[in-house]
Amino acid sequence: MHAVGVLEAGLCRHVLLSYGDCGRSGNSMMQLLANLNAEDAVFGHFGATGGYALAARRAMHEFHTGPDTWKQIAVGQRKWANLNPRAAMYGRTMTEADYDRSPWIVEPFRTADNCLLTDGGRACILTTLERARDLRHPPVTIMGLGMYNPAADIAPARHLAGPTGARRAGETALRMAGITLDDIDACEIYDCFTYTVEITLQDYGFFKPGEGKDWLQGGTIGPGGRMPVNTSGGQLSEAYYMGLTPLTEGVMQLMGRCGERQLGPKTGNKKPEIILCSDNGGILQSHACYILKRG
Amino acid sequence: MTSRKPLPKINADTAAFWEGCREHELRIQKCGECGHLRWPPAFLCPHCLSGKTELVRASGRGTVYSYTVYRVAFDPAFRGDLPYVVALVALEEGPHLVTNIVGCDPSAVSCDMPVEVVWDDVTETVSLPKFRPAAR
Repeated sequence: MHAVGVLEAGLCRHVLLSYGDCGRSGNSMMQLLANLNAEDAVFGHFGATGGYALAARRAMHEFHTGPDTWKQIAVGQRKWANLNPRAAMYGRTMTEADYDRSPWIVEPFRTADNCLLTDGGRACILTTLERARDLRHPPVTIMGLGMYNPAADIAPARHLAGPTGARRAGETALRMAGITLDDIDACEIYDCFTYTVEITLQDYGFFKPGEGKDWLQGGTIGPGGRMPVNTSGGQLSEAYYMGLTPLTEGVMQLMGRCGERQLGPKTGNKKPEIILCSDNGGILQSHACYILKRG
Repeated sequence: MTSRKPLPKINADTAAFWEGCREHELRIQKCGECGHLRWPPAFLCPHCLSGKTELVRASGRGTVYSYTVYRVAFDPAFRGDLPYVVALVALEEGPHLVTNIVGCDPSAVSCDMPVEVVWDDVTETVSLPKFRPAAR
Protein backbone atom coordinates (compact mmCIF):
# COMPACT_ATOMS: atom_id res chain seq x y z
CA MET A 1 0.00 0.00 0.00
CA HIS A 2 2.92 2.31 0.78
CA ALA A 3 4.50 1.37 -2.53
CA VAL A 4 1.34 2.43 -4.37
CA GLY A 5 1.45 5.72 -2.46
CA VAL A 6 5.01 6.63 -3.45
CA LEU A 7 4.40 5.62 -7.08
CA GLU A 8 1.17 7.64 -7.27
CA ALA A 9 2.91 10.61 -5.69
CA GLY A 10 5.67 10.37 -8.27
CA LEU A 11 8.37 9.95 -5.62
CA CYS A 12 9.60 6.69 -7.19
CA ARG A 13 9.54 5.08 -10.62
CA HIS A 14 9.84 1.47 -9.48
CA VAL A 15 9.47 -0.13 -6.07
CA LEU A 16 11.07 -3.46 -5.20
CA LEU A 17 9.16 -5.50 -2.63
CA SER A 18 11.51 -8.15 -1.29
CA TYR A 19 11.92 -10.64 1.50
CA GLY A 20 14.78 -12.99 2.25
CA ASP A 21 15.57 -15.04 5.31
CA CYS A 22 17.51 -18.04 6.53
CA GLY A 23 14.58 -19.21 8.60
CA ARG A 24 15.65 -22.83 8.46
CA SER A 25 19.43 -22.69 8.85
CA GLY A 26 19.55 -19.58 11.05
CA ASN A 27 17.64 -18.53 14.13
CA SER A 28 16.48 -15.09 12.96
CA MET A 29 12.82 -16.09 12.68
CA MET A 30 12.80 -17.73 16.10
CA GLN A 31 14.39 -14.59 17.57
CA LEU A 32 11.79 -12.39 15.92
CA LEU A 33 9.00 -14.57 17.28
CA ALA A 34 10.54 -14.69 20.75
CA ASN A 35 10.50 -10.88 20.86
CA LEU A 36 6.87 -10.84 19.73
CA ASN A 37 5.60 -11.93 23.14
CA ALA A 38 8.62 -11.81 25.46
CA GLU A 39 6.34 -10.84 28.36
CA ASP A 40 4.55 -14.18 28.15
CA ALA A 41 7.69 -16.35 28.24
CA VAL A 42 7.42 -16.61 32.02
CA PHE A 43 4.35 -18.77 31.45
CA GLY A 44 6.06 -20.87 28.78
CA HIS A 45 4.18 -19.06 25.99
CA PHE A 46 6.39 -18.54 22.95
CA GLY A 47 6.26 -17.48 19.34
CA ALA A 48 3.36 -17.46 16.97
CA THR A 49 2.17 -21.06 17.28
CA GLY A 50 0.87 -20.58 20.81
CA GLY A 51 -0.87 -17.31 19.97
CA TYR A 52 -2.63 -18.66 16.89
CA ALA A 53 -3.48 -21.83 18.83
CA LEU A 54 -5.28 -19.64 21.39
CA ALA A 55 -7.26 -18.01 18.58
CA ALA A 56 -8.04 -21.38 16.97
CA ARG A 57 -9.19 -22.87 20.29
CA ARG A 58 -11.58 -19.99 20.89
CA ALA A 59 -12.88 -20.49 17.34
CA MET A 60 -13.48 -24.18 18.11
CA HIS A 61 -15.54 -23.07 21.09
CA GLU A 62 -17.51 -20.35 19.32
CA PHE A 63 -18.24 -21.80 15.89
CA HIS A 64 -17.22 -25.44 16.18
CA THR A 65 -14.33 -25.53 13.76
CA GLY A 66 -11.40 -27.88 14.37
CA PRO A 67 -8.91 -30.31 12.88
CA ASP A 68 -11.50 -31.79 10.47
CA THR A 69 -11.68 -28.38 8.80
CA TRP A 70 -7.96 -27.66 8.95
CA LYS A 71 -6.88 -30.99 7.52
CA GLN A 72 -8.69 -30.16 4.27
CA ILE A 73 -6.60 -27.00 4.03
CA ALA A 74 -3.32 -28.80 4.75
CA VAL A 75 -4.09 -31.62 2.31
CA GLY A 76 -5.47 -29.31 -0.41
CA GLN A 77 -2.44 -27.05 -0.36
CA ARG A 78 -0.06 -29.99 -0.36
CA LYS A 79 -1.59 -31.10 -3.68
CA TRP A 80 -0.55 -27.77 -5.17
CA ALA A 81 2.97 -28.12 -3.71
CA ASN A 82 3.25 -31.51 -5.38
CA LEU A 83 2.92 -29.67 -8.72
CA ASN A 84 5.54 -27.04 -7.81
CA PRO A 85 9.20 -28.12 -8.14
CA ARG A 86 10.31 -25.14 -6.03
CA ALA A 87 8.11 -26.14 -3.10
CA ALA A 88 9.85 -27.61 -0.06
CA MET A 89 7.19 -30.34 0.01
CA TYR A 90 7.19 -31.00 -3.78
CA GLY A 91 8.06 -34.67 -3.41
CA ARG A 92 5.98 -35.37 -0.32
CA THR A 93 2.30 -36.12 -0.58
CA MET A 94 -0.09 -35.76 2.36
CA THR A 95 -3.27 -37.73 2.94
CA GLU A 96 -5.89 -37.03 5.59
CA ALA A 97 -4.46 -39.98 7.53
CA ASP A 98 -0.98 -38.41 7.34
CA TYR A 99 -2.46 -35.25 8.83
CA ASP A 100 -4.09 -37.21 11.67
CA ARG A 101 -0.74 -38.85 12.44
CA SER A 102 1.16 -35.56 12.47
CA PRO A 103 2.48 -34.87 16.01
CA TRP A 104 1.01 -32.21 18.29
CA ILE A 105 3.03 -29.04 18.70
CA VAL A 106 0.72 -26.76 20.65
CA GLU A 107 -2.79 -28.18 20.80
CA PRO A 108 -5.02 -27.77 18.87
CA PHE A 109 -2.23 -27.52 16.26
CA ARG A 110 -0.27 -30.41 14.83
CA THR A 111 2.97 -30.08 12.85
CA ALA A 112 0.87 -30.20 9.66
CA ASP A 113 -1.00 -27.04 10.75
CA ASN A 114 2.22 -25.02 10.94
CA CYS A 115 3.92 -23.18 8.10
CA LEU A 116 7.47 -24.02 7.10
CA LEU A 117 10.72 -22.32 8.00
CA THR A 118 12.69 -21.93 4.79
CA ASP A 119 15.90 -20.40 3.48
CA GLY A 120 15.29 -18.20 0.49
CA GLY A 121 13.54 -15.12 -0.73
CA ARG A 122 11.01 -13.61 -3.09
CA ALA A 123 10.74 -10.28 -4.82
CA CYS A 124 8.25 -8.37 -6.87
CA ILE A 125 8.50 -5.05 -8.71
CA LEU A 126 5.73 -2.48 -8.55
CA THR A 127 5.58 0.30 -11.09
CA THR A 128 2.99 2.28 -13.01
CA LEU A 129 0.84 0.50 -15.59
CA GLU A 130 2.29 2.71 -18.31
CA ARG A 131 5.85 1.53 -17.54
CA ALA A 132 4.78 -2.06 -16.95
CA ARG A 133 3.33 -2.28 -20.48
CA ASP A 134 6.87 -1.84 -21.88
CA LEU A 135 8.27 -4.77 -19.89
CA ARG A 136 8.82 -8.35 -21.01
CA HIS A 137 6.08 -9.97 -18.96
CA PRO A 138 2.39 -9.16 -19.22
CA PRO A 139 1.38 -6.70 -16.51
CA VAL A 140 -0.71 -7.53 -13.50
CA THR A 141 -2.60 -4.62 -11.99
CA ILE A 142 -3.91 -3.88 -8.52
CA MET A 143 -7.69 -3.48 -8.60
CA GLY A 144 -8.26 -2.97 -4.90
CA LEU A 145 -6.48 -2.69 -1.57
CA GLY A 146 -7.66 -2.78 2.02
CA MET A 147 -5.95 -2.75 5.39
CA TYR A 148 -7.39 -3.07 8.87
CA ASN A 149 -5.58 -3.57 12.18
CA PRO A 150 -8.02 -4.36 14.98
CA ALA A 151 -5.77 -4.92 18.04
CA ALA A 152 -2.26 -4.22 19.22
CA ASP A 153 -1.84 -7.31 21.38
CA ILE A 154 -3.55 -10.63 21.96
CA ALA A 155 -4.48 -10.07 25.61
CA PRO A 156 -6.86 -7.15 25.06
CA ALA A 157 -8.46 -8.86 22.04
CA ARG A 158 -12.14 -9.56 22.67
CA HIS A 159 -12.85 -11.11 19.28
CA LEU A 160 -10.16 -13.76 19.17
CA ALA A 161 -12.39 -16.00 17.05
CA GLY A 162 -13.02 -13.20 14.56
CA PRO A 163 -13.97 -11.15 12.83
CA THR A 164 -10.30 -10.38 12.26
CA GLY A 165 -9.04 -7.42 10.25
CA ALA A 166 -9.85 -9.47 7.14
CA ARG A 167 -13.54 -8.50 7.39
CA ARG A 168 -13.05 -4.78 6.86
CA ALA A 169 -9.88 -5.05 4.76
CA GLY A 170 -11.71 -7.41 2.40
CA GLU A 171 -14.78 -5.17 2.14
CA THR A 172 -12.56 -2.18 1.39
CA ALA A 173 -10.58 -3.99 -1.29
CA LEU A 174 -13.69 -5.39 -3.01
CA ARG A 175 -15.36 -1.97 -2.98
CA MET A 176 -12.27 -0.33 -4.48
CA ALA A 177 -12.12 -3.05 -7.15
CA GLY A 178 -15.85 -2.72 -7.84
CA ILE A 179 -16.37 -6.50 -7.77
CA THR A 180 -17.86 -9.19 -5.53
CA LEU A 181 -16.48 -12.51 -4.31
CA ASP A 182 -18.19 -14.18 -7.29
CA ASP A 183 -15.65 -12.50 -9.58
CA ILE A 184 -12.64 -14.02 -7.80
CA ASP A 185 -10.98 -16.89 -9.68
CA ALA A 186 -8.45 -17.93 -7.01
CA CYS A 187 -7.11 -16.87 -3.61
CA GLU A 188 -3.56 -16.64 -2.30
CA ILE A 189 -4.03 -16.43 1.46
CA TYR A 190 -1.39 -15.74 4.11
CA ASP A 191 -1.25 -19.16 5.75
CA CYS A 192 1.08 -19.16 8.73
CA PHE A 193 -1.30 -21.82 10.10
CA THR A 194 -4.14 -23.81 8.55
CA TYR A 195 -6.62 -21.97 10.77
CA THR A 196 -5.42 -18.61 9.39
CA VAL A 197 -6.71 -19.69 5.96
CA GLU A 198 -10.09 -20.67 7.39
CA ILE A 199 -10.67 -17.49 9.40
CA THR A 200 -9.45 -15.28 6.53
CA LEU A 201 -11.75 -16.87 3.92
CA GLN A 202 -14.58 -16.81 6.48
CA ASP A 203 -14.08 -13.14 7.27
CA TYR A 204 -13.95 -12.29 3.56
CA GLY A 205 -17.39 -13.89 3.34
CA PHE A 206 -16.76 -17.07 1.33
CA PHE A 207 -18.70 -18.98 3.99
CA LYS A 208 -20.49 -18.35 7.28
CA PRO A 209 -18.80 -18.98 10.65
CA GLY A 210 -18.33 -22.70 11.12
CA GLU A 211 -19.37 -23.62 7.58
CA GLY A 212 -15.78 -23.85 6.38
CA LYS A 213 -15.71 -27.60 6.81
CA ASP A 214 -18.60 -28.04 4.34
CA TRP A 215 -17.25 -25.40 1.96
CA LEU A 216 -13.85 -27.09 1.86
CA GLN A 217 -15.33 -30.58 1.42
CA GLY A 218 -14.50 -32.40 -1.80
CA GLY A 219 -11.26 -30.65 -2.72
CA THR A 220 -12.62 -27.09 -3.12
CA ILE A 221 -9.21 -25.44 -2.80
CA GLY A 222 -7.03 -28.04 -4.58
CA PRO A 223 -6.21 -28.55 -8.26
CA GLY A 224 -9.47 -28.67 -10.23
CA GLY A 225 -11.43 -27.35 -7.26
CA ARG A 226 -14.03 -24.61 -7.54
CA MET A 227 -11.93 -22.05 -5.60
CA PRO A 228 -8.19 -22.73 -5.85
CA VAL A 229 -6.34 -21.49 -2.77
CA ASN A 230 -2.58 -21.17 -2.27
CA THR A 231 -1.65 -22.61 -5.63
CA SER A 232 2.09 -22.80 -4.92
CA GLY A 233 1.53 -24.89 -1.80
CA GLY A 234 1.60 -21.69 0.25
CA GLN A 235 3.55 -21.16 3.43
CA LEU A 236 2.35 -24.54 4.70
CA SER A 237 3.89 -26.51 1.84
CA GLU A 238 5.95 -24.30 -0.49
CA ALA A 239 8.00 -21.80 1.53
CA TYR A 240 7.58 -19.05 4.11
CA TYR A 241 8.43 -15.64 2.67
CA MET A 242 5.98 -13.65 4.77
CA GLY A 243 3.44 -11.75 2.63
CA LEU A 244 5.48 -12.34 -0.49
CA THR A 245 4.54 -16.03 -0.66
CA PRO A 246 0.90 -15.21 -1.49
CA LEU A 247 1.61 -11.98 -3.41
CA THR A 248 4.20 -13.37 -5.81
CA GLU A 249 2.12 -16.48 -6.48
CA GLY A 250 -0.89 -14.33 -7.36
CA VAL A 251 1.22 -12.26 -9.75
CA MET A 252 2.88 -15.32 -11.34
CA GLN A 253 -0.46 -17.07 -11.87
CA LEU A 254 -1.93 -14.02 -13.61
CA MET A 255 1.19 -13.69 -15.76
CA GLY A 256 0.83 -17.37 -16.70
CA ARG A 257 4.29 -18.35 -15.46
CA CYS A 258 3.43 -21.24 -13.12
CA GLY A 259 4.31 -24.36 -15.14
CA GLU A 260 2.58 -27.55 -14.01
CA ARG A 261 0.48 -25.74 -11.44
CA GLN A 262 -0.63 -23.00 -13.84
CA LEU A 263 -4.36 -22.50 -13.34
CA GLY A 264 -6.14 -23.38 -16.57
CA PRO A 265 -6.89 -26.49 -18.60
CA LYS A 266 -3.85 -28.31 -17.16
CA THR A 267 -5.16 -28.14 -13.58
CA GLY A 268 -8.85 -28.34 -14.49
CA ASN A 269 -9.46 -24.75 -13.42
CA LYS A 270 -10.52 -21.58 -15.19
CA LYS A 271 -7.68 -19.43 -16.54
CA PRO A 272 -7.57 -16.71 -13.88
CA GLU A 273 -8.51 -13.09 -14.52
CA ILE A 274 -8.77 -11.91 -10.92
CA ILE A 275 -6.93 -13.24 -7.85
CA LEU A 276 -7.44 -12.14 -4.25
CA CYS A 277 -4.35 -12.14 -1.98
CA SER A 278 -3.99 -11.58 1.74
CA ASP A 279 -1.34 -10.78 4.29
CA ASN A 280 -1.56 -10.60 8.06
CA GLY A 281 0.65 -9.78 10.98
CA GLY A 282 0.99 -10.36 14.71
CA ILE A 283 -1.52 -12.84 16.07
CA LEU A 284 -4.27 -11.93 13.58
CA GLN A 285 -3.83 -8.30 14.62
CA SER A 286 -3.15 -6.66 11.29
CA HIS A 287 -4.51 -7.54 7.87
CA ALA A 288 -4.07 -6.51 4.26
CA CYS A 289 -6.14 -7.62 1.28
CA TYR A 290 -5.26 -6.91 -2.33
CA ILE A 291 -7.06 -7.87 -5.48
CA LEU A 292 -5.00 -8.42 -8.62
CA LYS A 293 -6.12 -8.49 -12.25
CA ARG A 294 -4.49 -9.78 -15.40
CA GLY A 295 -3.58 -7.02 -17.87
CA MET B 1 22.19 -29.14 32.11
CA THR B 2 18.87 -27.62 33.09
CA SER B 3 18.25 -24.07 31.96
CA ARG B 4 16.35 -21.61 34.11
CA LYS B 5 12.90 -20.40 33.25
CA PRO B 6 12.68 -16.74 32.27
CA LEU B 7 11.63 -14.18 34.88
CA PRO B 8 9.40 -11.16 34.20
CA LYS B 9 11.16 -8.20 32.59
CA ILE B 10 9.83 -5.60 34.97
CA ASN B 11 9.62 -1.99 33.69
CA ALA B 12 8.04 1.27 34.81
CA ASP B 13 4.67 0.24 33.34
CA THR B 14 4.56 -3.23 34.88
CA ALA B 15 6.34 -2.63 38.23
CA ALA B 16 3.13 -1.99 40.19
CA PHE B 17 1.58 -5.22 38.88
CA TRP B 18 4.58 -7.34 39.87
CA GLU B 19 4.86 -5.64 43.28
CA GLY B 20 1.25 -6.69 43.84
CA CYS B 21 2.02 -10.24 42.77
CA ARG B 22 4.79 -10.36 45.33
CA GLU B 23 2.10 -9.72 47.95
CA HIS B 24 -0.25 -12.18 46.22
CA GLU B 25 -2.57 -9.46 44.95
CA LEU B 26 -3.64 -8.93 41.34
CA ARG B 27 -3.39 -5.16 40.91
CA ILE B 28 -5.00 -3.87 37.76
CA GLN B 29 -4.84 -0.31 36.44
CA LYS B 30 -8.09 1.61 36.39
CA CYS B 31 -8.45 4.89 34.55
CA GLY B 32 -9.02 7.73 37.04
CA GLU B 33 -11.09 9.56 34.43
CA CYS B 34 -13.37 7.06 32.64
CA GLY B 35 -13.01 4.04 34.93
CA HIS B 36 -11.77 1.67 32.18
CA LEU B 37 -9.75 -1.28 33.52
CA ARG B 38 -6.80 -1.97 31.29
CA TRP B 39 -4.33 -4.76 30.55
CA PRO B 40 -1.47 -4.78 29.71
CA PRO B 41 -0.35 -1.90 31.96
CA ALA B 42 0.28 1.43 30.23
CA PHE B 43 0.70 5.07 31.25
CA LEU B 44 -2.32 6.26 29.26
CA CYS B 45 -5.87 4.97 29.13
CA PRO B 46 -6.42 3.42 25.66
CA HIS B 47 -10.07 4.56 25.75
CA CYS B 48 -9.86 8.21 26.82
CA LEU B 49 -6.07 8.87 26.83
CA SER B 50 -6.16 10.13 30.40
CA GLY B 51 -2.93 9.77 32.36
CA LYS B 52 -4.80 9.53 35.68
CA THR B 53 -4.37 6.01 36.97
CA GLU B 54 -5.59 4.13 40.03
CA LEU B 55 -4.88 0.55 41.01
CA VAL B 56 -7.67 -1.82 41.91
CA ARG B 57 -7.32 -5.25 43.42
CA ALA B 58 -8.88 -7.95 41.25
CA SER B 59 -10.71 -10.78 43.02
CA GLY B 60 -8.61 -13.49 41.35
CA ARG B 61 -11.73 -15.11 39.93
CA GLY B 62 -12.36 -15.48 36.24
CA THR B 63 -13.02 -17.82 33.35
CA VAL B 64 -10.86 -19.45 30.69
CA TYR B 65 -11.32 -17.36 27.51
CA SER B 66 -9.06 -19.66 25.50
CA TYR B 67 -6.27 -22.16 26.13
CA THR B 68 -3.64 -24.28 24.43
CA VAL B 69 -1.73 -27.37 25.47
CA TYR B 70 2.01 -27.17 24.83
CA ARG B 71 3.39 -30.54 23.67
CA VAL B 72 6.79 -29.13 22.67
CA ALA B 73 9.19 -27.15 24.88
CA PHE B 74 10.24 -24.09 22.86
CA ASP B 75 12.55 -23.31 25.83
CA PRO B 76 14.21 -26.42 27.31
CA ALA B 77 13.50 -25.08 30.82
CA PHE B 78 9.85 -26.04 30.31
CA ARG B 79 10.53 -29.62 29.20
CA GLY B 80 9.73 -31.07 32.60
CA ASP B 81 6.31 -29.38 32.57
CA LEU B 82 5.06 -30.95 29.32
CA PRO B 83 2.24 -31.13 28.56
CA TYR B 84 1.29 -27.78 30.11
CA VAL B 85 -1.57 -25.35 29.59
CA VAL B 86 -1.19 -21.71 28.52
CA ALA B 87 -4.46 -19.83 28.75
CA LEU B 88 -6.04 -16.44 28.36
CA VAL B 89 -8.03 -15.93 31.54
CA ALA B 90 -10.82 -13.35 31.54
CA LEU B 91 -10.84 -11.82 35.02
CA GLU B 92 -14.33 -11.12 36.33
CA GLU B 93 -13.34 -7.44 36.37
CA GLY B 94 -12.75 -7.58 32.58
CA PRO B 95 -9.05 -7.75 31.67
CA HIS B 96 -7.59 -10.88 30.02
CA LEU B 97 -4.28 -12.30 31.29
CA VAL B 98 -1.90 -14.74 29.63
CA THR B 99 -1.21 -17.37 32.30
CA ASN B 100 -1.11 -21.10 33.05
CA ILE B 101 -3.90 -23.40 34.21
CA VAL B 102 -2.52 -25.71 36.88
CA GLY B 103 -3.91 -28.19 39.36
CA CYS B 104 -5.82 -30.27 36.82
CA ASP B 105 -5.18 -32.52 33.85
CA PRO B 106 -4.84 -30.51 30.58
CA SER B 107 -7.72 -32.52 29.12
CA ALA B 108 -10.00 -31.19 31.89
CA VAL B 109 -9.61 -27.56 30.74
CA SER B 110 -12.34 -25.99 28.61
CA CYS B 111 -13.30 -22.54 27.37
CA ASP B 112 -15.43 -20.51 29.79
CA MET B 113 -14.64 -22.78 32.77
CA PRO B 114 -14.43 -20.89 36.08
CA VAL B 115 -10.93 -20.54 37.54
CA GLU B 116 -9.26 -18.83 40.49
CA VAL B 117 -5.78 -17.47 41.05
CA VAL B 118 -3.07 -19.54 42.70
CA TRP B 119 0.37 -18.09 43.37
CA ASP B 120 3.59 -19.66 42.14
CA ASP B 121 6.47 -18.20 44.18
CA VAL B 122 9.26 -18.75 41.67
CA THR B 123 11.90 -16.70 43.57
CA GLU B 124 11.96 -14.83 46.87
CA THR B 125 10.79 -11.68 45.13
CA VAL B 126 8.78 -12.92 42.13
CA SER B 127 5.39 -14.64 42.26
CA LEU B 128 3.52 -15.61 39.11
CA PRO B 129 -0.28 -15.55 39.04
CA LYS B 130 -1.50 -18.90 37.72
CA PHE B 131 -5.03 -20.28 37.78
CA ARG B 132 -6.72 -23.52 38.81
CA PRO B 133 -10.28 -24.78 38.44
CA ALA B 134 -12.46 -22.79 40.84
CA ALA B 135 -13.55 -24.50 44.04
CA ARG B 136 -17.28 -25.18 43.87
